[in-house]
Amino acid sequence: MELKDSSRRDFLIAGLAVAAIATGCTPGSPFEAAVGDDVKPSGKKVKLLSVDGEEIEVDEAFLKPVPHMPTITNAEARVGIPGKKFVMVIDLSRCKNLKKCQSACNHAHDLNPGENWIKVDPMQSAEHTAPYWEPTTCMHCDEPPCVKVCPVDATFKRQDGIVLIDSDRCIGCRFCMAACPYSTRVFNWGAPEIPADVASQPYSAETSIPQKKGTVGKCDFCADMTRMGMLPHCVSACPNGTFFYGDLNEDSVTNGAETFRFSDLMRDKGGYRLMEDLGTKPSVYYLPPVSRNFPFESGLENDKLQNK
Amino acid sequence: MKLLNKILFGSLSLLFLLPGYNAFAQTADKGSVSVAVSYFNANNKIPYVVVKVKTKVNGKFQNVGGIPLKLSLNKDSEGTLIGKVVTNEQGEATAIIPQSLKKEWSSTVKHTFIAAFAGNAKYDSTSTSLTVSKAKILIDTTSSRSVVATVMELKDTTWTPVKGVDVVLAIRRLGSDLNINETATFATDSTGKASGDFKRDSIPGDLKGNITLVAKVLDNDTYGNLFIEKKVHWGSKFVSKANDFNARTLFATRAKAPVWLMVIATGIIIGVWTVLILLVQNILKIKKLGNEA
Amino acid sequence: MENSKSIAGEEQIIQDLLPRKFKNSGKILVYILSAFCLVGIYAYYRQLRYGLIVTHMRDYVSWGIYISNFVFFVAISLVGSLITAVFRLAGVKWGSPLTRIAEMIAVAAIIFASIIIIVDMGSPERFYNLFLYGRIQSPIIWDVIVITTYFFISILLLYYPLLPDLQILLRFKEKSGPRLHKFYSYLGSFWKGSHKQYLLSKKAINALCIAIIPVAFTIHTVTSWLFATTYRPGWDSTNFGAYFIAGAFLVGAGAVVVAMYIFRKWYGLEKYITLDHFDKMGRVLVLLCLLYLYFNVNEFLTPFFKMKESEAGYLNDMFSGSFAPVFWFAIFTGIILPIIILLFKKGRKPLPMFIVGIMVVVGAWFKRYLIVTPTLLHPFMPMHDVPASYHHYFPSWEEWAITMGSLAGAILIIVALCRVFPIIPIQETINEHHETAK
Repeated sequence: MELKDSSRRDFLIAGLAVAAIATGCTPGSPFEAAVGDDVKPSGKKVKLLSVDGEEIEVDEAFLKPVPHMPTITNAEARVGIPGKKFVMVIDLSRCKNLKKCQSACNHAHDLNPGENWIKVDPMQSAEHTAPYWEPTTCMHCDEPPCVKVCPVDATFKRQDGIVLIDSDRCIGCRFCMAACPYSTRVFNWGAPEIPADVASQPYSAETSIPQKKGTVGKCDFCADMTRMGMLPHCVSACPNGTFFYGDLNEDSVTNGAETFRFSDLMRDKGGYRLMEDLGTKPSVYYLPPVSRNFPFESGLENDKLQNK
Repeated sequence: MKLLNKILFGSLSLLFLLPGYNAFAQTADKGSVSVAVSYFNANNKIPYVVVKVKTKVNGKFQNVGGIPLKLSLNKDSEGTLIGKVVTNEQGEATAIIPQSLKKEWSSTVKHTFIAAFAGNAKYDSTSTSLTVSKAKILIDTTSSRSVVATVMELKDTTWTPVKGVDVVLAIRRLGSDLNINETATFATDSTGKASGDFKRDSIPGDLKGNITLVAKVLDNDTYGNLFIEKKVHWGSKFVSKANDFNARTLFATRAKAPVWLMVIATGIIIGVWTVLILLVQNILKIKKLGNEA
Repeated sequence: MENSKSIAGEEQIIQDLLPRKFKNSGKILVYILSAFCLVGIYAYYRQLRYGLIVTHMRDYVSWGIYISNFVFFVAISLVGSLITAVFRLAGVKWGSPLTRIAEMIAVAAIIFASIIIIVDMGSPERFYNLFLYGRIQSPIIWDVIVITTYFFISILLLYYPLLPDLQILLRFKEKSGPRLHKFYSYLGSFWKGSHKQYLLSKKAINALCIAIIPVAFTIHTVTSWLFATTYRPGWDSTNFGAYFIAGAFLVGAGAVVVAMYIFRKWYGLEKYITLDHFDKMGRVLVLLCLLYLYFNVNEFLTPFFKMKESEAGYLNDMFSGSFAPVFWFAIFTGIILPIIILLFKKGRKPLPMFIVGIMVVVGAWFKRYLIVTPTLLHPFMPMHDVPASYHHYFPSWEEWAITMGSLAGAILIIVALCRVFPIIPIQETINEHHETAK
């Protein structure tokens, strides 16, 4: 846990460091660290002390621990972050159905009680094969069947691979729910039970907050966190490090504590995707439940508790 | 009479209860928070301090936001104030050493950071301190693609190498750093150097193949957190893969519908509706004929 | 038939076929239908206020009887094109008295098909987004376009053959009353029955008959594609378009038979809708039943033979599981029994035909229910991590009320149309009478 914390904090500093050494330099390529990209220099300089005791001038805008992000417009949210291709890797050998991912996700997105964007399913392919726990999120398919059928562009595919929903546009026809073979989409059948101050916020497709009555919702890969260079809530919430997240273009994924080269992980552990035969080309990869950290049974009690 | 009795009894018991209640509230209702101070130094430039406030609820630690803290350098006095901060939702707050403390900063090689919380309605007052030695980290690369990090400590006025410090050598990636090979940490030798071979061949870099290396000391008891970055040309050039985003596909936006679909759809619509409009015109024609007759 | 027709004079025909004021029974029917509609409207008000939560649709069964009902309406509306266009182009003379009934049913059904699809929307107040941001890639947009087109053609096809009749209606001002008279003259006072007008109208009707057939095929094929463009077991079928169209012609023909019987009894039209009509419609119906049976075998036998893992749950549920009673009910009452009954000459008499017609329509409604719901209850991923109520589906009272209200509303439109316009084309009947007299 501690390790994870510090590595994330370290990441935040990265932004500060980039800022400190590169003030004035404009990040030219789309491949600069995510933090710092969207931070615009305020022009106001602040005098600070270096470790040697010298004075350094730094732009004020870079001094916040999490740089202040300009509000993302709907048009920007529809395009996505250039040069990125976000992927998730879910290691089935580490999951014991703790559902920390689920509760963190539900809390972070202010979901209506009973609504889950992350589901953890007990899977068993055949009678004599071993059961395992399989967390599912939105697969953020590269050829998303849900986006194909949307009549009003309310759900859309971004250039960084994320599939989002514009709840201000959605007419609630639920065609996308019928089209999604992964049953990942949920519907706000009634007015969601969320605090009034949350419900009154303007909707953002990147945060997916607030959920609205009569519209569809689903996992958004925490597009807002990703924009800030942070990991999705489910990734940082899992104590077993089941979820890995990263940029395919950087060939690396991390669960906060460990970082792997994506291609190594796929090669060494036999990564695969769900329902490959449908041709949806998901962005979520799975590592098979081999040499498991926990027996399947360890998750049963929690399952009974939540699925009464 | 009865009523009067009741009122009297009521107010009396209230008088007795009130101080007792207060005492009770102070001992049991107020929680305690733990404050952790960490020292950071990025690229041997700006040193700063991060405080994290937690409290224990039902045996589990929870971050506490909205806690005001006073941070000072070496001693708790007005003249050595680093700043006053308030923790955010994650229970964290950051402070940078202001220019005004230049004298205090340069006076010693060891610094003590004091974080003091004056207490509020919910939590008792507390204070923590962290003492670190001034240190810096250097990064260098060799032609045989190994990364060398050097950790040095300020002793009196000279920077001297430190032995036995664990250093992480990694490549900056989204949300995390990827180690340069399978080794998690490298310990410094007597020259203060720790080196590792770069084994991440053809890892994607930017458009020119540049990647950012980082050497870092994490949560060291004596030196805090140090890190330094270096850009090298060891990555493979980033080739923008064919992205469907701008292509005309069935899953693109309305403006990017496939041409064949648009042609067929508009063709059919125009074809059918031309006939229908002609038929409506036909009604008007019949109408005209009828009105003339 | 020949005899009765030659005896009756032209005026007699007109007197027989003019629309009439409702008697008490008619008024009671209107009240009952309106009551159903009002309950439906109240249920919809509740749905608007609280959201689709008042229905029992949930994340797995995200489409319920609204969509079944929508498919049912679209299916029934296809009959307009069958009776009017296909028969006319094929030179089927005996069908002409039935064209008006068929078109009225088509218009009523298509109106309620579009209403029910809005009812199914979670955010109907954003309906305009379909026009503002419509994506041509989405089959829903195809459906919107095609339904609009089909509605327009159906109206034209109802209107054109009405023109000569309007001229006749205008002659009976005292019978129709001032308001209706004004309405008639607004619609068709310009029709003088001149040869030129007649030629233009004939040409237009022919054009419409040709145009409506592909549009009718499209409307139901596109509706089937709402399902067939997804991956789900039971929907992922290349047979779906043809299967839907065969079923649509069947239910439409069934509805026409029911309407024929009722109007014939009600208005005493025995002279115009004869036993011969019933016999011939019976033959058409049995043919359509056989066709639909063929497509059903095609749709279910091959997956049953293979029993793919993804489809096994769905198929077992249909054949022997919780949906088996409804499934076999729909197959037997909607297809098999009608075939058996209609193969006998006695089965093609009005009363048995009426019963068969009702069986076909009711069977077809449940068939639509089976097309939508069982598939949704058998997704690829396990149904897990959801409240228990998500695992099954039975419509709530609001859904039933709205569905019943929409069915009542469609009948109400038909009733209203037959109050205003002659159910059997008068001028055409007169022309036929002259021809036979010659």
